[in-house]
Amino acid sequence: MNLFSSLIKKNGPIIGTYLLIAIIFWFIFLIIIPQLYMVDLSFRPNLSPLERGGDKDFYTLEHYKHFLFGSAGSNNYFNVVDISVFFKTIFISIIVTILNLLFCYPIAFYIAKVAQPNSARFLIIALIIPFWINELLRSFALRVLLANEGVINTFLTQIGLIDTGLLFITNNVGLYSGLTYAYLLLMMFPLYNAIESLDKNQLEAAKDLGSSTFWTHIRVVIPHAKPGIVSGCTMVFMLTVGALATPVVLGGPNTLWFPELIYQWFKMSNNWSRGAAYSFLLLIISVIFVLTMMRLFKVRIGEIIK
Amino acid sequence: MSNRLINYSLIFYIITFFVFLFGPLIIMSITAFNSADFPRISPWDCLSFRWFNEGMVDYVGQHQAGLLTDQKLKEGFYNSIFIGFFVVLLTVPIGLAAALVLTQINPKLRELFYSLSIMPVLFPGVIIGISTVVLWNRLSGLSDEGILSEVGRNGIFLTILAQTCFISTYCFLIFVARLQRFDRSQEEAALDLGATQTQVFFKILLPYLAPAIGSSAVIAFLASFENYNTTVFSILSDRTLTTVIASKVRLGITPAISALAFAIIVITVLAVIIYEFYKRRVDRLKKIEEQTLLASQSSDSRVQKIEIPKINFIKPLSFFIIIAIILSILFTQVLKNNLYGDACIANVEEEKKRKIEEQRKLEEEKFKLSEEDLQSGNKGGNSAFGDIFNSDLFEY
Repeated sequence: MNLFSSLIKKNGPIIGTYLLIAIIFWFIFLIIIPQLYMVDLSFRPNLSPLERGGDKDFYTLEHYKHFLFGSAGSNNYFNVVDISVFFKTIFISIIVTILNLLFCYPIAFYIAKVAQPNSARFLIIALIIPFWINELLRSFALRVLLANEGVINTFLTQIGLIDTGLLFITNNVGLYSGLTYAYLLLMMFPLYNAIESLDKNQLEAAKDLGSSTFWTHIRVVIPHAKPGIVSGCTMVFMLTVGALATPVVLGGPNTLWFPELIYQWFKMSNNWSRGAAYSFLLLIISVIFVLTMMRLFKVRIGEIIK
Repeated sequence: MSNRLINYSLIFYIITFFVFLFGPLIIMSITAFNSADFPRISPWDCLSFRWFNEGMVDYVGQHQAGLLTDQKLKEGFYNSIFIGFFVVLLTVPIGLAAALVLTQINPKLRELFYSLSIMPVLFPGVIIGISTVVLWNRLSGLSDEGILSEVGRNGIFLTILAQTCFISTYCFLIFVARLQRFDRSQEEAALDLGATQTQVFFKILLPYLAPAIGSSAVIAFLASFENYNTTVFSILSDRTLTTVIASKVRLGITPAISALAFAIIVITVLAVIIYEFYKRRVDRLKKIEEQTLLASQSSDSRVQKIEIPKINFIKPLSFFIIIAIILSILFTQVLKNNLYGDACIANVEEEKKRKIEEQRKLEEEKFKLSEEDLQSGNKGGNSAFGDIFNSDLFEY
């Protein structure tokens, strides 16, 4: 209440009311209530609209049980499919994040510290252009290259290197390279901003004191760029773990990405509460990852997203 | 010596990186100009623009739509623009309000407020879509009629809300960055001189924030336009451009999507170039202003001699001329070899039909052989399936 009256006092009645309405609308109606309701739904059985609020509408753990143990009729004790998809998604996302960091670091360093201002500007523009193009279309571009009768396969067959097409899509090569390709820029810019703020004199001092290029990076550049690295890694991991567009375009016939599993429960099986339960699991993983990164590297949440 | 080696390998790496970044996009763009019904470069059929216009009718008589004739794509495109417009209308005021409140709130609450504001970006997109849909489905279920049940089942309305949830954060961050450099004393001066708080807001704060309003509106529109993860859940039975593309790709890949991507790439590149030119001009004007100011204030004659750097038009111009020459040579070659136009397409299609016909004859001969086998009793009959394999079902 104190907050409200002070807002009105500071901004006058008209602007104060506008601020209040906008904030409440956003926080309460768009962020908090929908999330809470989704969590609530995930603990309820899947009911038709008519049955809601009736006898069958009670709290249950059935969806989380299904994630762990599968449906009653299955042979395995655990729900091997869903659990393996879940951990595979997390594992691959971590690999993709690390790869992104390794790929982007030299470029970010080059643009921030080595390149001339004009060519740095040009390189930044060249980086931005591909990422203004829709994620779906970028994945589609990879699909054109990697499809079984795609550009790479026809090329390789024509020059006689292989007889039959390589199964890039079926073997998930397409999916993994697509995921790595998709969020490169979100690693690049935090890294670039962090390295850019490093004083060039420090690099020269390190060099004068006899440090090799490798140790200069380990001891000077990387510690300085830590907030950027954490921020980039968090963004890339979150987006990869929650990616839906790239798996839709590039996923093999037998592979599932965890958000695709959610999509299937939600859209195809029409089991909304189970979809909500699986989404909640995804949310928990994301929150755990962010908190771990904050603890591990001792950064505040404000430094992760700027 | 080793330093030079490192530098060269770094430059080599950067070139490879950009090749991987642009290679797929360029190859995809080229496939849009191949008349074949599958996005490919080789074998190259004909140069054609049909995937931008009318598409094609394949051998089975099925029409594969091109870019301009695809009704679903068109509908999705209009919906995307409609949604983007309303998302901008909602997110910019919300982001502005949140950023203003952040500057006024007491420091204890600030961390919490900031965390809450950036939370939507940290949520996976699918979750925001799902939570919006389940909530509004429940709300619309509460009443049988009336506006609540109408809007609760309207995919476009839900998409606007769901996207507003996380795009507001982008706007919020842009406004926060701009407000950090705001000089509070301006506000105080205006208040001291008797302006009302509303006047201060409209006459001082808003003009100062105008660039941020512009850029956040652009970012919000783009983010809304290309969002898929959230939209695919919240759109329900309607469609936007991204959901149309996704469902098309799911069914199989066609050059029509390459054509769409090419169009988007061209627009993007043009927008970036125009923006870059505009920015350079503004920078240059600023520099001129500073120089003249410096010159007028100083009596030193050396200062006035400083030349104002001009934009070097010659480099890009020669670059464009070379590209134009290469393109025109390529095009004349294409025309000479009869690789463009309806005649070429007709040729290729005739060729394909002939091949299919040959294939069919080959199959038929094989089939006849097996008929003989059948009569001699070597192999089992094929009438077990009600002769379905002899019927006309598979004729083209």
